[in-house]
Amino acid sequence: MFFKENLKMAFDSIFANKMRSFLTMLGIIIGITAVIAILSVGNGAANQLTQTFSDLGSTSITLSAEDETGSQEMITNEDIQLLKETIPEIEYISSDNQTRSELSSDFETRTAVAWYGTPDIQFTNQSMDATVIHGRYFNQNEYDDMKNVTVISEDTARALFNDRTDVVGEMIRLDVNREQLNLQIVGVVAGAFEDLQGTFDLSQMPVMLAVPHTTMSQLSSIPSNINSLTIQVETTDDIEPISNQAVRLLEIRHNSVGENNYTAYNMLQALDQVNNVLSLFINFIAAVAAIALLVGGIGVMNIMLVSVTERTREIGTRKALGATTRTILVQFLMESVILSLIGGIIGLMFGILLANGIASVLGITPDITLGAVGLVILFSSAVGIFFGIYPARKAARLDPIESLRYE
Amino acid sequence: MIEIKDIVKIYRTGSETLTALDHVTLTIQEGEFTSIMGPSGSGKSTLMNILGLLDSFDSGKYFLNGKDVSDLTDDERAAIRNKEIGFVFQSFNLMPRMNVLENVQLPLVYAKVPMKERKRRAEEALKRVGLENRMYHKTNEISGGQKQRVAIARAIVNNPSVLMADEPTGNLDSKTTLDILRIFQQLNEEGTTIVMVTHESEMSAYTKRIISFRDGILQSDELQEPKVLPKGGV
Ligand SMILES: Nc1ncnc2c1ncn2[C@@H]1O[C@H](COP(=O)(O)OP(=O)(O)O)[C@@H](O)[C@H]1O
Ligand SMILES: [Mg+2]
Repeated sequence: MFFKENLKMAFDSIFANKMRSFLTMLGIIIGITAVIAILSVGNGAANQLTQTFSDLGSTSITLSAEDETGSQEMITNEDIQLLKETIPEIEYISSDNQTRSELSSDFETRTAVAWYGTPDIQFTNQSMDATVIHGRYFNQNEYDDMKNVTVISEDTARALFNDRTDVVGEMIRLDVNREQLNLQIVGVVAGAFEDLQGTFDLSQMPVMLAVPHTTMSQLSSIPSNINSLTIQVETTDDIEPISNQAVRLLEIRHNSVGENNYTAYNMLQALDQVNNVLSLFINFIAAVAAIALLVGGIGVMNIMLVSVTERTREIGTRKALGATTRTILVQFLMESVILSLIGGIIGLMFGILLANGIASVLGITPDITLGAVGLVILFSSAVGIFFGIYPARKAARLDPIESLRYE
Repeated sequence: MIEIKDIVKIYRTGSETLTALDHVTLTIQEGEFTSIMGPSGSGKSTLMNILGLLDSFDSGKYFLNGKDVSDLTDDERAAIRNKEIGFVFQSFNLMPRMNVLENVQLPLVYAKVPMKERKRRAEEALKRVGLENRMYHKTNEISGGQKQRVAIARAIVNNPSVLMADEPTGNLDSKTTLDILRIFQQLNEEGTTIVMVTHESEMSAYTKRIISFRDGILQSDELQEPKVLPKGGV
């Protein structure tokens, strides 16, 4: 009813004491600035992480086996075949391992990362491109027969064969812990480091090759047991059920139901963990901001109590003129809410500025949500009401005669 | 019409008790201009606060316009003050951050009168006290006498049954005092009932009736032919 009048009175009295009002708002301004900046930067970082993680492999599952006895074969080649046959959503499945090595041609010797697995490693491996540009990938027969074959990347070919890329049929020698394997190149895949051309000294980068697991296990330092699998599925939605299904199938086949020997892991879980850490951090800052708001609220209460005392006579006069207890209560409550709200809005603006500043330093896009803005409005109003109610009640309950006599 | 019967008001401070009003009975009719006289401490302000429904009393009855108002809640009393009583205080009690027009509108705000109507009635009240060309001044930009005229406009703006003034010229010089008395006489002639507390006989000489108090007891109650001030010129 008195909304407009109360609003005007609140503004009049806040602007009558500009400095005092500003100092009172300071706690709220700082609190809200912190909340908005942290929320916006935090959300921006979370968005970025989510994007990165999805790009990286939201459709890929890593399934690993823990062999407690140390001797059992935890994952067999038959298991891999069976998984692929029984779970149609599985696109590719491969053991996916790597070892440091040295790779030599007749011309050149380079440090290398040797990837080894089943033929599907072509698709499950994130480091080597799946696009074959010369020859072909090694196949299931070569895998089963432990053929000494390999696929190398384009830049590996260039490094080892004087800038030639079509090196299908050539022989190379792999050194792993002073044991050698002579391998015939059956295919060349697209280069891995094209993006980095010019940024790094590529001659220092390790080259890459892929070899059948069976072939690699001829070396004494490479176990023939498969203890981890990379599974590629079609959509992110398939991740959970297929992880569970795959683990269950392996448990049943190896009589180890309930022993937790097999664990499935996905990037999304990693994302969850990162997000957990991030939200822990956000909550911590939010708690600090809440303390600033609390202090700000106490400031509001203090200044409102001073204001009530200063305006005792005014309150007495208003009551003489017909103001009810409620009218006075609402008037003073309105004033403290407006005070907090102005503080909140100033804080919001500073918060947005600060968020943009921090975000541009970190190279991310701040995410200022409508929800956060609403939260600020709600929160600072709540602070105004919570800390304004006591002074307002004090004003409303003043005895008219006593207050009229007050000097 | 104001009727009080056997009103007793006792102040208790610690173990001491002080009878500020001792079985006071009186009636004030519509259209009267009454002054309440007596030395300092005789209970004039106490009576005024009770008549103005700002204060309660220990025993007796109070009828305002025939209605028993002896026992009301705070909010009921606030509503009656707003509608039936106009206050003029010794120290003006204007709102410092509002202009003259806004000050005069205040009782109408509490009466929930719409904004346009409020402004119209406040302007009219200011015209009656001769301040129509000071409406947009702040209250610290006008003289003491003008302040009190704003207060009078505020007191009459909601057409109360009675205007109550407690030592209204206590802070004013003698020339300005006469201005205020002239306005009171004019308003009374136009039909406003006025009760004015004063301890100066020079003031009460301008009223139609004088009620005197001493130590909370009604001493005398006399009608008189008031001194008349020339009209206009405020
Ligand atoms: N709130 C109070 N508490 C105690 N005594 C009071 C109070 N108000 C007034 N009195 C006493 O009551 C008597 C009447 O006071 P008041 O009505 O103010 O007199 P007047 O207005 O005629 O000067 C005085 O003795 C005064 O001291
Ligand atoms: Mg007095």
